Amino acid sequence: MKMTEIKTKNKCKRIRGWLYKAISRSFGSEANWLNEHIRRCPRCQQRLISYGKVNLALSFMKNQPHGLDLLMRANTQTIAVLKHSLRTEPEARELEKKLPEPKTFERYCKYGHSLANLAACIVILLLMKIGVFSSMDQFHNQGQRVMKQYYTRQVGEDLADDVFPNNSKPPSSARSRGLSKA
Amino acid sequence: MFSRAISYRTVWDFAVPDSIAESQRWILSTMQKHGQELVTMLWRILGNEQDVCDAYQDTFLQLAHHEGGQKPKHIKAYVFRVANNVAVSMLRRRITERNKLPVSITMGKATSSPVKELDSKYLQETLRECIAQLPEHLRNVVTLRDLAELSYAQIGKILGISGATARVYRCKAIQLLAVWMSKEE
Repeated sequence: MKMTEIKTKNKCKRIRGWLYKAISRSFGSEANWLNEHIRRCPRCQQRLISYGKVNLALSFMKNQPHGLDLLMRANTQTIAVLKHSLRTEPEARELEKKLPEPKTFERYCKYGHSLANLAACIVILLLMKIGVFSSMDQFHNQGQRVMKQYYTRQVGEDLADDVFPNNSKPPSSARSRGLSKA
Repeated sequence: MFSRAISYRTVWDFAVPDSIAESQRWILSTMQKHGQELVTMLWRILGNEQDVCDAYQDTFLQLAHHEGGQKPKHIKAYVFRVANNVAVSMLRRRITERNKLPVSITMGKATSSPVKELDSKYLQETLRECIAQLPEHLRNVVTLRDLAELSYAQIGKILGISGATARVYRCKAIQLLAVWMSKEE
C-alpha cells in the first residue's frame, strides 16, 4: 500500500515538473507570441517597464552596502537597554563585537573554482593511474608470456610451468612447437 | 537617541524582577541566531543606519516585554513580524515628516526626468514609500521575501499562511507596486 502511494507521488511530482516546463514554454516570458504581443501593445510595454522598475529598485535596495559594524552597533545599543544581569553575560560581550558573517553558500562560493579544478585534477590523475597501471600490467604479462614461451621451447612445458606457475599459458602455436621439440 | 537608551535602561533595571531577567538568556541567543538577518532586512527597509539600530532595539525590547518576559512560542516568527512592523511604522513617520517639508527642500518631487528615473536613491525611496502604503498582508510577504530573502515556506510559517498563498500575495503586491511606481513619475 505504502509503495503504491510513493510511486503515485513520484509520478505526480514528475508530471508536475513536465507541466511547469510546458507552461513556461508556452506562457513564460520567453514565449514568442508574448514577445510579439508586447512589441505591438503600448499598454503591455508600459506594464513591463513598471515591473522592470520595481525589480530594479528592489535590486538597488538589496545591493546597497551598509557599514561593516552595523550589526555590532545594533547589538551594543540593544544590549545597553537590557537588564544588568543580561548585559554582563559573556554572550552579550560576544554580541557587542560581532561582525556580519557571510552565508554558508557565499562562504564556500569562492572555493568553487578551486574545488572544480581539484576535482578535475583528481579525475585526470585517476585516469592516468588506471591507464599507466593497466599498460604496465599488459607489459608485465606479455614479458612473462614471452619468457614462458622461450622456456617451453628450450626445456619443455612441465619445467616452464614450474618456473612460471601462475602465469597465463603461452600462445598455442608456441606451445605446440615446444612440445614437438620435447 | 542616547537619552532614550538611558531612560529604557533605567526603567528596565528597576521594573523587571531579577528572576525574569535570569531566565531571559534566550534573548541573547535569539540575537545571536537571527540578529544578522534582522539587521539586513531592517537596513533594506529603512536605508538608514541609525534607524536600523533603533528598530532593532525596539524589536528586542518588545521581545523582552512579551507577556511579562515569557518566551514566545515561535520566536523567529515573532521577531521578524515585530521588526517588520516597527520598521514600517518608522518609514511611514519619516515619509510624513518629509511630506511636511517645503518642496524646495525635498528636491521637487514633481519634476521627472530619465536621469532621475534611473537614479538609485530616487528609485529606492519611491519603492519604500510604495511598500509602506501596501496592505499589511501583502507588505509582510514582500518584505520577508524580497528584502529578508526568506523562502516561501519560511514566510508561510512566520505569517501562518501556506507557501502558495505567500506566492500569490507577492504577485499581487508586485502588481500594485508596479502600478504605483508608474504613477509616481
